[in-house]
Amino acid sequence: MQTKYKIGLLRGNLLVAAVLLALLAMATTTLTEALLLWLSATWLATSALLMAFNHRRPVTVPWQLLPGLLLAALLWVAPERHVTWLWAWAVLLMLPQPRWILLLETLLALATWWPLRELLGLEQWTLSGLGLAALMLLGLSRALDLRTLRKSALSRARLVPGLTLWPGSRLPRDLALERSRSLREGVHAELLLLHAPRHQSWSLAQRLCHLTHSFEHCYRLDSRTLATVLISRDRHQANERRGMLWRSLGARGPARAIPLSGLASLDAERLALARQPAGLLVIEEPSHA
Amino acid sequence: MPDLRPHHSRLFAAWHAGGALLLLGMSLWLYLLGEYERIPLPAILSLLMLVATLLNTTGDEQSRMAAYLALVCGYLLIAVELPRQSGLPLLWVGLPPVLTLLLLPLAPAMLLNLSLTPIWLALLGEGELDSQTLLGYLSLVIVAALIPWEQARQHALLRATDPRDSECSANGRETLHEGLASEIDRAGMLGQPLAVLLIHLPQLDMVGEQFGPRARQALLDSLCQAVASRRRDHDTLGREGQADFWLVMPDTTESSALLMQQRLLQALDQITLMDTGHVAARMRLCRLKAGESWPRFEQRLEAGSESLAIG
Repeated sequence: MQTKYKIGLLRGNLLVAAVLLALLAMATTTLTEALLLWLSATWLATSALLMAFNHRRPVTVPWQLLPGLLLAALLWVAPERHVTWLWAWAVLLMLPQPRWILLLETLLALATWWPLRELLGLEQWTLSGLGLAALMLLGLSRALDLRTLRKSALSRARLVPGLTLWPGSRLPRDLALERSRSLREGVHAELLLLHAPRHQSWSLAQRLCHLTHSFEHCYRLDSRTLATVLISRDRHQANERRGMLWRSLGARGPARAIPLSGLASLDAERLALARQPAGLLVIEEPSHA
Repeated sequence: MPDLRPHHSRLFAAWHAGGALLLLGMSLWLYLLGEYERIPLPAILSLLMLVATLLNTTGDEQSRMAAYLALVCGYLLIAVELPRQSGLPLLWVGLPPVLTLLLLPLAPAMLLNLSLTPIWLALLGEGELDSQTLLGYLSLVIVAALIPWEQARQHALLRATDPRDSECSANGRETLHEGLASEIDRAGMLGQPLAVLLIHLPQLDMVGEQFGPRARQALLDSLCQAVASRRRDHDTLGREGQADFWLVMPDTTESSALLMQQRLLQALDQITLMDTGHVAARMRLCRLKAGESWPRFEQRLEAGSESLAIG
């Protein structure tokens, strides 16, 4: 890694921000404002605690919506005291988020700016509107920078720095590659599909990565399915290794092992896994192969 | 660390041009109002923004300069114009820090924002320092900074998890070494031979200095393409240093590795680039000895690459 990223600094910044918002909350007089500010402070503090340096937690939609909604609520409830925050819309657009949230935030910004007319007077109202629009455009262009980078990199990036855990979209290509390679080298390769309970899926994936050889990559197909490609010298060694892996993995859900030479379709195997009872099922190699 | 912000420079240039137009419009408006003494500032600033627009269209290195110009324009305008508009200081005090955060990278932006706190508060707060305004300003600065932080985190995360090199389609150094270690494991377990072709591009530095980054990129791309068209599916090309590449060829005997080297040299021979002409490359073959450990082999490869670079 060229860049050693300091996650601690970000966490510190989040906590300082939470404290400042809490101070603001204590300085307010009305209940709704205080409530909103406390909520924001809690949101920041929770984010600080959940923050981790991997792709594990693809931010969920309600979590992404919350800052926009809080900002809008604050500006509607007490514009005369919190009007400073109007400009925050421009930076908020910089967050990596889906397109429709960007649109929603733009609409919310418009909806919070519009009622300021009486408070500001026509001239300042127009001026602030122009300024806000310009800043939001700038924020949007910054967001686009990251978006293009992410789009190209996310499909090939590993899910956790340092682990050979890859997104499921890579598996079909790697399977084709491994199939032709194992055929040429005359080794036994098999696909192991595992069903993992939702809350254990990440710890199981980590254990799977540690238990397999470094050249046997692991994949996370969805939130409940993991896969790995096991490579052994022959069928006998494969049986031995698979049995040992299964025992030390301690997984209790359904799993199936399919030799690559007999693998017809990945989707069909995933369907079969979903219907299968718990335990490891080994599919035998077709005899004519 | 390379600059990871491939600015959408057209959008940025358009933004600066829009700013210049707005300022021009403002000076015209002031002319119509007859407030002649206020005209020079927006007129000069619109010229500055025009310069920033031009800087933005010329290239990536200048865009930082353009951002600073735009920032100076914004600051001057806010500092001179806003105190006249007696209104809500609470509103306007939030504008400069957000502008800074949007235009500059996080660290200089935070430094500027925090050090300019008293100035903005004094200018816009009409002389009296109000603790409420101060708290509002500070929390906006701190909270808004979280978003560039998050962006930086995403960038760093992508860099750390992206197997590719940042400049070309070869694997990055981390991925190269990791992949090589795992291939050695595999070769050991399955009893297979492993060969690594060391490649050095002696022209790369000179091309970068003489013909600029585009010619350098073309040279890198031509190597990657030549390798991609000749390699087998499971051979991987990785970038070991600036001009040093390793082609990892698992399950390959010496004769087929030599054949590969021959074909690669031929492929590079056929390429003619606009600035550099003929692509020169030095190559050397290294094979994993029986029972050789990864750290030893790694050392040998690194030494080989170094001597290849010296010539």
